[in-house]
Amino acid sequence: MVSTILFSAFAVLAVAGAAGLVLLRHPMNGAMSFIMTLIALAGLFALLSAKLIFAIQLIVYAGAIMSLILFIIMFLNIGEKDLPDESNRWFYFGGGAVVIAPLAIFLLKVVNKLPSCEATIVGDSFGSVKGVGMVLFTEWLLPFEIVSILLLVALVGAVVLAGKREGKL
Amino acid sequence: MLDFIIILPLLVVGAGAIALMLLASMENLSEGSTALVSIGIFAFAFAVQLMVSVSGNVAPYETAFSGMLTASTFTKVAGLIILACGLFSCMIAQTYFTQNKFSSPEFYSLMMFAASGMLLLTMAAELITLFISLEIMSLAIYVLVGYDRSRIKRSEAVLKYLMLGAFAGAFFTMGAALIYGGAGSTRFALISKYLATNSFLESPVLVAGTLLVIVAFLFKVAAFPFHAWVVDVYDGAPLPVTGFMATGVKTAIFAVFANFIVLDNGMKGVWVDYLFYVAVFTMFAGNLIAIGQNNLKRMLAASGIVHSGYLIIALVAVGTENFTGGVIIFYLAAYAAATLGVFTALAYLGGTDERRDSFDDFKGLAKVRPYTAAAITIFMLSMAGIPPTAGFMGKFYIITDAIRADQMLLAVLGIVSSILSMWYYLRLVIMMYFKEPEESFEVSGVSLAPVGTMILAVSVFAIGFYPVFL
Repeated sequence: MVSTILFSAFAVLAVAGAAGLVLLRHPMNGAMSFIMTLIALAGLFALLSAKLIFAIQLIVYAGAIMSLILFIIMFLNIGEKDLPDESNRWFYFGGGAVVIAPLAIFLLKVVNKLPSCEATIVGDSFGSVKGVGMVLFTEWLLPFEIVSILLLVALVGAVVLAGKREGKL
Repeated sequence: MLDFIIILPLLVVGAGAIALMLLASMENLSEGSTALVSIGIFAFAFAVQLMVSVSGNVAPYETAFSGMLTASTFTKVAGLIILACGLFSCMIAQTYFTQNKFSSPEFYSLMMFAASGMLLLTMAAELITLFISLEIMSLAIYVLVGYDRSRIKRSEAVLKYLMLGAFAGAFFTMGAALIYGGAGSTRFALISKYLATNSFLESPVLVAGTLLVIVAFLFKVAAFPFHAWVVDVYDGAPLPVTGFMATGVKTAIFAVFANFIVLDNGMKGVWVDYLFYVAVFTMFAGNLIAIGQNNLKRMLAASGIVHSGYLIIALVAVGTENFTGGVIIFYLAAYAAATLGVFTALAYLGGTDERRDSFDDFKGLAKVRPYTAAAITIFMLSMAGIPPTAGFMGKFYIITDAIRADQMLLAVLGIVSSILSMWYYLRLVIMMYFKEPEESFEVSGVSLAPVGTMILAVSVFAIGFYPVFL
């Protein structure tokens, strides 16, 4: 019973935060509202007994990554006059909603058709550092390793696109 | 140990990419030598890929890395095509950068990273691995598209591609989550096992999940109705990147698409009805767009949409039992050879800042440069599907396969679309042969691209005759 209430609360917060990210005009407000989404997601992970993911979500996403983003936004010192003119944005939101609506209705129908099932208590090792580590480094080794290639590509790409380029050649 | 043998070419390309990335910090590394090194790495990886597995139709190791990857003759040949695309794209890049100065060693490094993502994609047999490899490939390609920061057209292309690509990525993730919810696993083997005992249509979550995954694939291959981005992005990307995108990305996505769709007969049966319409609309929308283009790169982009349509016909016709994917892979090889061939020719004819890019710019090429004009004609004839080129054989197999699978209407529409497409392919040939030259087509700089053009012109015939000699 409590978990259902908690789930609904976190779910509403997560969606509200995401909506705020899109709707709020100032990037700072958007980032703050996104932090709300990330924390609510951490709560949802905790409800699923994913202890490690819960901690990582708070420390890495809500903590490290978002503070970096906030730092950059503050660094750029964006004022009201720097923001682009978005007077007709409601028009675009409306258009986007019309495009997305059929898909959303379809997905809602699908979710409603899901068979109901009782929540069961999973074992103690589920979601713990040891439990996740065991699975990650045995069965899921390959995806874990190729993520490092992905991060390397992102790093090289950032350097290439944003870095200073001297007139080589 | 066997697991590592199947990813050996991947390790070669990945190690090459990292080595080149580190070498990029050296001051006196010349542009020509980086290109040669990367061509060498691609050639070496190609040789490794050729040797790794036993030939024949037996899959040597059904699964690797506890079901994360799969290896078969199909994935092996797809890997070979991708590595060859990388090799020729490096040749194009080497020539292109003698006339357009925005190169740095990281360009080739990113190209190899993209190739390693594509190789993973062809072998992926698990949705999370698939997603990560898709993102490795896409991220590297996004950066390559926007590599030339000095021009606004490039920035527009990269922004469009990045936004829509992120959209497709989100669709894929959502689909993968729903499939996991329905089947209880993200591994292809276990999803297939689940579907063998449970009916596909009785599980709405699986239906929705596979729909979203297929949408993501269709977006990446620019099939109708997700084809609108492709013309602007291909036009905006630097020439070597366009060549690599058109061929390598398409090969990788179609390989994984085929691996995914043959999971289960029931699932394929449901989607085939819709893929039928997708194939038809893709072919005709692509033809309509291509007929209206005056720019060669835009025409090739639009014709890429049409070729995606043919490949979807091949997917519709493919059988889930004893899947070999020979038809798909043959067409991909034929398409890659012809497309990259045109791009190698454009690389040295294009001139500084891709100056010559419209049909009119190639007036009378045959009088000035007869060999290049002949090679371009061969590539155009192959794309149009005129015997005895590889393109004809590819289309022939696709259409006979469609007839075998009782898709008579699709086969007929494929032939109609193929006849329509001759309009814009032969238009270039007419421009080259029957108009008087207006300029002397001087090219500057020593380059490898003419060599690539010649090799590809020969391989168009070699691929075409390969089944005859088999």
